[in-house]
Amino acid sequence: MAEPSVSDAQLIARALVTDDRHAFAELVKRHQSSVRACLRKLTAGNHALADDLAQETFILAWRNLASFRQEARFSTWLYRIATNSWLAHNRKRREELLGDRVDAVAEGEDETMPHSDDLHADHARGAALKIDLERAMGALSESERAAIVQCYHNDLTHEEAAYVLDCPIGTVKTHVLRGKQKLKAALAAYAR
Amino acid sequence: MTTNDPFPPAPQAADDAWLDDLLVAVGVAERAVYIDDAGFTARVVDALPSAVAAPAWRRPFVAALWGGAVIALVIAMPTFFVELLGTADALFSLQSFSLASVGAALVALLALTWGAAAYSLREN
Repeated sequence: MAEPSVSDAQLIARALVTDDRHAFAELVKRHQSSVRACLRKLTAGNHALADDLAQETFILAWRNLASFRQEARFSTWLYRIATNSWLAHNRKRREELLGDRVDAVAEGEDETMPHSDDLHADHARGAALKIDLERAMGALSESERAAIVQCYHNDLTHEEAAYVLDCPIGTVKTHVLRGKQKLKAALAAYAR
Repeated sequence: MTTNDPFPPAPQAADDAWLDDLLVAVGVAERAVYIDDAGFTARVVDALPSAVAAPAWRRPFVAALWGGAVIALVIAMPTFFVELLGTADALFSLQSFSLASVGAALVALLALTWGAAAYSLREN
């Protein structure tokens, strides 16, 4: 892929100094795909929610552009905002659920998850593996899922993932390890 | 990962390298998919909060406040300001500033300002 003629840093400077919305729009165009893909992964394939959170991510980026110190790549900074938006959404949702009847909602969620045995018969192995992987990812804790998405889906180093998740590198490694142990158990059938 | 198959078959080996390979392969496959913008950027730009424009009266109001503060200080401490002006007058009357030295000082100040601005806006 050819390098863009104007760098991210130059576009950020334009957006900051002259309040240039066209420059910021160019930044959104460049990074929308990766940010939306990351959020789709974090939200376990909920595209509508992922796009809402992606929009929120870019609006927050616009508001806080002056605080971007270029200590990380712009894309990594966006991943950080996106992950925080997703975590905040989950917190809000949990609070709402606590206000309602938690049991009823949990049962409803279970009904929307088809049993894996029903799927295996009709799908090719690769498709079934993908579905099972998505489901297994959905069963991970927020921290484990976020760490695995940053390290594998976004291809970040442990150091970059630690920046995105705002935690020490050792904690990222622990979350990845625990997440992989759970995935391994959930996908054990494919290892035989 | 160079394989074209995003979901490679798991090896028979007892180790869990297959899971690592699977996660890497899925990551590579998913990163390769470009999500079409489909109006997303336009929606974001439309939703951006507009810059808060300062009201027209703000600048003259602030100037009037500063002016009022200075006048209040002069009224409150008249002797201090008389002494200050006398000292400044005595200091400048002793010094002889040539046009060239004033120009050199201005050029040095401008260079310093532009240098600092260029450094802070430099491309990383």
